[in-house]
Formats: sequence, structure tokens, C-alpha cells
Amino acid sequence: MKKSPIRIVSIYPTLLGTYGDGGNVAALSHIASLHGLPVDILTISPGMMIPDDADIYVMGGGEDTAQVAAANALRASGALTRAVDNGASVLAICAGYQLLGHEFPDADGNAAPGLGLLDVFTDRLPKRAVGELAAEPIRAGLTSVTQMLTGYENHGGATHLGAGVIPLALVTSGVGNGDGTEGAITGQVIGTYLHGPCLVRNPLLAETLLGWAIGQHLDPIVEDAVEELRRERLGSANMGK
Amino acid sequence: MNTSLRTKLAVTAGRLAAATSRTLGRGEGMVVGGKVTLRISPHALADLAGDRVAALVSATNGKTSTTRLLATAASQAGPVATQSTGANMTEGVLWALANGPANGPAILEVDEAYLPRVLAATRPKVVLLANLSRDQLDRMSEVAMLARKWRRMLAENPDVVVVANADDPIVAFAAEKAQQIIWVAAGQEWTADSSVCPECGTLLSRDGTDWSCSGCGRARPKTSWQFEWEKTGTAVGPDGQRYDLASLQLPGRFNASNATMALAVCAELGLDLAKAVTLMSTVTSVSGRFATVVAGSLRIRLLLAKNPAGWSELLDIMPPAPTPVIIIINSNDADGRDPSWLWDVPFERLKGRTVIASGNRRRDLAVRLLHAGVDAVVIEDPFAADAVLPAGTRNLAVIDCAATYTAFQKLRDPSNEELAL
Repeated sequence: MKKSPIRIVSIYPTLLGTYGDGGNVAALSHIASLHGLPVDILTISPGMMIPDDADIYVMGGGEDTAQVAAANALRASGALTRAVDNGASVLAICAGYQLLGHEFPDADGNAAPGLGLLDVFTDRLPKRAVGELAAEPIRAGLTSVTQMLTGYENHGGATHLGAGVIPLALVTSGVGNGDGTEGAITGQVIGTYLHGPCLVRNPLLAETLLGWAIGQHLDPIVEDAVEELRRERLGSANMGK
Repeated sequence: MNTSLRTKLAVTAGRLAAATSRTLGRGEGMVVGGKVTLRISPHALADLAGDRVAALVSATNGKTSTTRLLATAASQAGPVATQSTGANMTEGVLWALANGPANGPAILEVDEAYLPRVLAATRPKVVLLANLSRDQLDRMSEVAMLARKWRRMLAENPDVVVVANADDPIVAFAAEKAQQIIWVAAGQEWTADSSVCPECGTLLSRDGTDWSCSGCGRARPKTSWQFEWEKTGTAVGPDGQRYDLASLQLPGRFNASNATMALAVCAELGLDLAKAVTLMSTVTSVSGRFATVVAGSLRIRLLLAKNPAGWSELLDIMPPAPTPVIIIINSNDADGRDPSWLWDVPFERLKGRTVIASGNRRRDLAVRLLHAGVDAVVIEDPFAADAVLPAGTRNLAVIDCAATYTAFQKLRDPSNEELAL
């Protein structure tokens, strides 16, 4: 097992962190410590160099202008693309998910260029999607997640998946990508609309990312407080259907 | 029928509806009364406002407290029409105008999303714009979008004098095109929602309270009022006159900052500023905020905490560890449906004590505190006589209880509070 710390990079939380998504980095750190895995967390502000040799990159959601600023800075840097080529994993939420695709709508509704790390593009939903989101992971999927995914969505984007990705999950309650699927994954790059925060409510996904980083499957560690929260939220999403 | 007669009848009908609602035990009836009035007389708000609206107050945080401070200060010139509760959407504003002193000036708080339409209808002399940050993202526009709406509102209503917080770049962007602006250096503790320029998206440069944008050249405006804080607050006027705010009974840096902005409005309204400070110092609690109330088997100091910016201020006024505190998180409509914002609050600062977690989202809070390394007990009803509370809790004379809006409303005891001015 790899003994050096797992390097986690939080990308532009000042731009992409509006919906409590900083909790994803906190969850990675917390769950790693349950497994006895040391982590090294680097928080990147705009203007700082992004390393291309870290293990896990995390991006959150954000407002339109901040999203465009983040996409432009990431495109100019190129580091995230190199990191993925180097075998790193990426978890991107909402606005972060959209900017990993080929294009996404800016504040005026015009298409802005993304990074193209996920074969998806995003335009606008007829009506903003706000509420609890529950989705069944794709069984033959690329993560080791077998339990229902739970989170909260708040976005106006309809994300269309190309041939180069598969959905992360199938929506059982809520909107997700807008066509019955939720999120997208290729290799170790994951995009999703799940806030909540995502890794807090879905620790198996955090264990997938950490497992990829050490090259070894992690047996899940269950925490009662988290299980109680999951049960309550999945129950509430079901009732909202 | 002319409009004002129609409005008079509409108000009478509204009062009847409100009284019925009260009799049925459905709350204070204000919203129902306001709705009925507006249904009968759609222009009732403009009619009732006439030209007597002295000031509107809006912000994400502190608008109820600031309005109460300002209305109390303004009562030096006679009775003031203002809200007695935090009802700040169209109906609440209308109700305060319809049921306050008929000819006195009005000082009203307005929900930030409702401000454009309320301002257009009531044509105030002054509007106070204090801060904008993330809050109830399931209901509100995103912060920058709200600022653009305010900006358009001020372009369409050029006669209103704006008193604005220059330290909040989003507020500054919203206010900067107004014809008459009084800039106040009121401070900004929470900067996470103003990291980029709302106009061009460039990351703002910051140096202390100073901020600027290298993309479009926008910078923090030069201020005429200053706020200073060193354990207690001081407001400094444009002429260098200093107003000691140490006598304020409302706690914390943020309330002294609110008082400074209120004082800047008083100056625009031609009020005596020394008297204003004296009157503001008589305010002990605001619609239940900071009030000590009895809740079941406990005596609690009630704090309203509904978003990260508000929380980061409140953590400062809680007694130090190991004193336990109660936190109640709900996600009903008026709270915002999504408590993900809990992850933006630096709860790590509560380490060393046990938090009593309650509310319909107590499980979200418990997990947040688990990750923050803060001990917590999850209790559905901490006020029950048989609730098992952390050791020492029942020996406290008063325990701090921070709650989101609907939990807060349930706990407050209006009979304990000052109402009419």
C-alpha cells in the first residue's frame, strides 16, 4: 500500500464553492483518516500554479461569472488535463461538472468553452432543477459504488452525454442530467449534479476515489451518523416523488 | 371609486381577514391581511406609502436589527411606522404601513429579492444597502444576479439617496450608479461570496478592507462614514465627529456596524445624531433576536443563524468552550430547503464543548460536527423536561440557542418583547 500522503487538490474553492462543496474535501480527509491514510490537501486560488502530479482533484459548484472565470483559468493552465493523463482522478460538482465538458452556457446563455475532459455538453433546462436528487448507480459502472446516491441539486443545465462517457447513475427522484441519467464518468473523471455535499452523503464514492489513489480497493467503513443521514434523505427523496 | 377610498376599504377587509386568521390560531394574520388588501386594491402599497417612507433597509443579514435600530433612532421626531416582526415581503411592508401611525414617517425592512418592486411602489427618501451573501439558494437568485437587479432598480429610481456598505464589493457594484450615494466603511467579515468582480468575473484583489478589480478598474469607493471596532464600536461621521457605540445593548461587532449604517441614514434624514445613539442603545432585543426566553425546562438566549455569513459573526459572541450550546437546523420553506451551507460555516471553532443538535435537519448538523471534530448529541426535543442533556447544561443560568428561521420563530415569545415604538 502506498504510504506517502494522498495528494488532494481543491481547485478554486473561492470561485467554485457556493453550495457547501468544500465539504467534499473535508469528507475525503475525514474518510481517509478512518482508513489510516495520510492526506495532503492543497487549496488552489486563481492565479496559483496547479500541480499536475497530484492524486485527486476536486471542484465544486458556483455562479455563472465565476464558472466562466474558472474554466478560462483552467484552460489556460492545462494542468488538469495533464494530471488526468498522469492517472489522477477528478470529482467535479454542478458548475465544475459542466466546465469539464465541451461547452456550457454562460450568464447570457451563450456557449462557453469547457475543458473537454468529459464527452458532454450542457445547455439549458426549460425549468431550473432544485430539490433532493436520488439516483441508482450504474451496476456495471466504473466506480465501486453499489448504494443509492443521494444529494441536492440546484442548477439550470441540461447535460447531454456523448459516446465517450457513461452516466454515473440513473435518476430515481429529481432531474440530474435532464434525460433520466445523472452525472457522467470516463476513466477516473467524474462529474455530477449532487451537492449535499456529495462525498459526505455518499462515502462509498469517497472510498472509490481514495482507493484509486492508493491502487487498492477499500472496504467501506460505516459511520452511524452518516448512515442515519442517508436513510433520512433517501426517504425524503422518495416521498417527494 | 377612487384609489385611496378603495385602499381604505381594502385595508379594512385585510384587518378582518387577519383577525379571523388570528382567531383560528394561524399566526399573526399579517400575510393573509396583506394579501387580501392587495387583492382588493393592487395599488395599496403606493397609496399607503404616499410620500412618508423615510427609509427602506435591505441586506442578506441584519436587516431586521438595523431596521429596529434605525426606527428607534428616528422615533425622536415622533411615532414611526415599522415592522414589529421580521415580515419583510410585500405583505409585511404593507401591513406595517396600514397599521402603524397614520401620518408618521415609515422605516421598513425589505427582503432583498422584493426590494425592487417595493422601492418602486413606496419611493423612499433613503435606501440602506448593507451586505449580500449566499442565503436560501433554492429561493433567492444567486448573489451577483440579485446585485444586478438592485443596480437596475437604482437606475430606474434616481431620486432615492443610497446609503451603502463600500466594504462589500457586491453591494458597491449594486449601488455605484445611483445619483446620490453615501458610502459607509461598515466592514465585511464574510468575503467568500465576493471573490470575483460581479461585472467582469476577474478575481478581486484585496488588501485589508480595500479591494479592487484589475479587469475593469472598479475599486472600493472612498467612504464618508467609517466604522471602527475594538471590543466596542465607534462610528465616525464625514466631519470626523466620533460616536461611541459602547452603550449599545445588542451584542457583537455586526450590530455596532448596523448601528453605524443606521446613523448615516439618520444624518440624511436630518435627525439629531447624539439622540439617535442614545435611542439605539435602548434596544435590547429585536423580534426575539438576542432575547432571553424560557423554552420548556431551559432558559435560552435566542440567536437567529440562517446562513454562513451570519454564523461567522455569531460564533464570536458565544461563550467560550466548554460551555455547551444548542443548535437547531430546520429546512422548511422559510429556512431554505437545502442546508448544504452548514459546510461553509467554520464550526471547528466550537471544538472543546458539546453541541446539542436539533431540528428537522439535526442529522446533517451531526455529520457536519463529526467532520469538524466537535462533540455532539442529537436530541429531537432538547427542551423536554426528561431530555438527556450534556453534563452541566441544566446548571447554566442561560444557554445560547442558535436556530434557523422557523425554529427561531417557534421559540420566540412575543409577549416578552417590546413591540410598538
